[in-house]
Amino acid sequence: MNKLALATHFIRRELKERYRGSFTGFGWALLQPLLQLAIYAFVFVQIFKARVPGAGAPGYVPFLVVAMWPWIAFSEAIFRSTTAIQDNAALIGKVALPRALLVLAPCAASFFLHGVGFLAILTVLSISGHGIEMIKVPLALLLYVPMFAYAFGICLTLAALQVFVRDLVQIIGQLLTLMMFAAPIFYDRTNLPERFQVLLDLNPFTFYVEGMRNLLLGYGEFPWHGLLIAILVAGLTLAFGLWLFRRLDPHFEDFL
Amino acid sequence: MSQVLVKAAGVGKAYPKAYLSGDRLRALARLLVGRRDADAQYVVKDIDLCVRRGESIAVIGQNGAGKSTLLKLITGVLTPTSGQVEVSGSVGALLELGAGFHPEYSGRDNVEMAAALHGLSHDELAARMQQIIEFADIGAYIDEPVKHYSSGMVVRLGFAIIASLKPDLLITDEVLAVGDESFQKKCIRWMEEYLKEGGTLLLVTHSMYHAQKLCRHALWLDHGALMQFGDVFEVSQAYLAWHERKQAASEQRAPDRSGIEFEITDLVVNDCPGNQAVVIDFGGKLVMSSRIRSREGRLPIAMFGIVRADGTPVYGVSTEMDEVGVQRLSDHDFRVEIEFAGLSLLPGSYQVRIHTMDTEGLRLFDTLERGLTVRGESREFGLVRLPHRWNQSSGDHGG
Repeated sequence: MNKLALATHFIRRELKERYRGSFTGFGWALLQPLLQLAIYAFVFVQIFKARVPGAGAPGYVPFLVVAMWPWIAFSEAIFRSTTAIQDNAALIGKVALPRALLVLAPCAASFFLHGVGFLAILTVLSISGHGIEMIKVPLALLLYVPMFAYAFGICLTLAALQVFVRDLVQIIGQLLTLMMFAAPIFYDRTNLPERFQVLLDLNPFTFYVEGMRNLLLGYGEFPWHGLLIAILVAGLTLAFGLWLFRRLDPHFEDFL
Repeated sequence: MSQVLVKAAGVGKAYPKAYLSGDRLRALARLLVGRRDADAQYVVKDIDLCVRRGESIAVIGQNGAGKSTLLKLITGVLTPTSGQVEVSGSVGALLELGAGFHPEYSGRDNVEMAAALHGLSHDELAARMQQIIEFADIGAYIDEPVKHYSSGMVVRLGFAIIASLKPDLLITDEVLAVGDESFQKKCIRWMEEYLKEGGTLLLVTHSMYHAQKLCRHALWLDHGALMQFGDVFEVSQAYLAWHERKQAASEQRAPDRSGIEFEITDLVVNDCPGNQAVVIDFGGKLVMSSRIRSREGRLPIAMFGIVRADGTPVYGVSTEMDEVGVQRLSDHDFRVEIEFAGLSLLPGSYQVRIHTMDTEGLRLFDTLERGLTVRGESREFGLVRLPHRWNQSSGDHGG
C-alpha cells in the first residue's frame, strides 16, 4: 500500500520533471515521436521508396507506427533508467527508501507517456482511414505487459551495474540502436534474405513488432510460438534483474 | 521495560577502495560472487546499541569518528558490513543538510516528496501542510526552488517536516548548529516536548550544552569504536577532558628534573597514592598532601593549584601567601597538606598540581600533577559554583 503510493509519487515526479520548464509541457511527449516519425516517413517513403511487401499490405506509415511507438517506449525506458540510481545519489545517501522504485519511475513513465502517445496516433490513423483495427487495441495493449516486465528487468540490471561501471550508459545507446535495426521495425521479415530471417527470432523485440502488426493491421501471422518465449524471456529477465538489484542494492552508497 | 526501537549488535561499516575504475569492476565481481572485501576501510566497528522507547541519546565524538555513519546505519540508508541492525517503529531522520531535498524543486514539492517517503497519503499531507509551513517559517520561499534557500532555511524546512510527522524515533545529525538562535530555541523546545510525550531521540552534536539539555545518555565514538556509553554528564565530561588533554599534550614539554634543589617526592590526593585520576563527588572534600625533599635542608614553599584539563587555571594558593609553614619531618624531608571542604568545582575534569619554590619564593623547582574528575550533575556553566542567591522582589525570600 505504502510502496504503491510512493511509486505513484515517483512516477508523477518523473513525468513532471521531464517536461518542467518546456513551453509545450506534455505536448513534447507527442511532438517528439511525431517529428521522429515524420523524418523516418520522409526518408523511407520519399527517398528509399519503401513499400511493405505482400498483397493488400498496409501503407508504410501505419506499418512503421505500430512497431515504432512500442520501440520508443521500450528503448527510452531502458536508456533513462540506466542512470536512475546514479542520478539519485543525493537521495540515496540521505533517505532510506526502496531503491527499485527509483528505477521503476523512469521506466514506467516512459511506457505511460508513449503508451498514451501510441493510442493518440492510432486514433488519428484510424480516423484518417489507414485501416487500424481499433477493436484489437486492448489486445495490443496486453502485449505491453510482458514487454514492460522485460524492459523493467533490463532496467534494474543496467541501473545496478551502472553504479559500478560508469561506461555502461555510453554503450547502451549504441546497443539500443543495434537492437532497433536488428528488429523488423523499418522493414518486414520477408525483406531479408532467407538465411538472415531466422536471426530475427534471436531478438526478443521481434515478437512484439510482429505481434502488433498482426493485431493492429492484420498484417502477417500472429507469432504464437513467440508468445510463450516472450513471456518466458520477460519473466526470466525480470527475475534476474530483481536478483541482481537486490544483491547490489546494499552497496550502492559505497560506490556512488 | 519499554519497547526496544533499535537493536544493533556488533555493527560495523567498511567502505571499499574505489578510486580507479578497475577497483570498481573488481568490487562488482566480488559482490556478485559474494566474497568479502579484504582491504576495506572500517569507519565504524563493533557497535552494540539498544535504544528503548523514551530514551534520549547524544552521539558525540570528534570529526570523522563515525557518528553520521552510525546514524545512517540505523536509519537504513547504509547497510552494515558486519553485524545487524533491527529497527521497529517509524523513524524520522535529518541526516546532514537538506535531507534528500531536490534542489530544483520548490519547498512545497519537496515536502510532498518527504511526506510520501514517510508513507503519508495525499490527504494526510494536505492536513499538515499549513502546520509545516508555519513551523518552517520561511515565508514565500516555500514556493521557490530549494537551491535558492540558505542552509538555515533548508534545515528549517527539514525540521518542520519531521516535527509534523512525530516519528517514534527521531534522528538528527548536527542540525541545530545551522539554524539561527530563534530557530534553535524553537527546535529545542519542540524536542523537549517530544521527549516529554515519550519520543525517542538520537542526536549527533558537538555542543555539549545541547547534549546535556536534551539527552539522558551519551555515546562517545572515536575512530569508529565505542569509547564510552552512559550518563550524558559523565560521558560528555570524559569526552571534553579527553579533548582538553589532547590539546594540552601537544603543547606540553617535558619538565627538567635533573639535580634540583627542591624535589616533590610524593603527592597523595584523598588518600589515593599513585598517579591514577581521582574521582570525587561534586561538593565533596579534597585533601592533597605532599612530601618535599630539600637538598640543602632549606625550607621550601609549596603551592597547590587546580587547573582545568586544558590548563586553564582555576585556583592556586601557596604556603607563603597564607603564611603557613611546611611541616619538617627530618633534615631534608618536609610535608604539606591542604584540604578543600565542600569543593565548589563544577562537574568535569581537572588536574591538581603541586609546585615547590625556594625559600624566597623566587624560583620554581618542581611540579607534580594528578588528574581529578568531579562527578555529578549540574547544568551550570563555568568552572566553579559561586555562592549566590536570587533576590526576589520583596527581598526576603533569599537563600
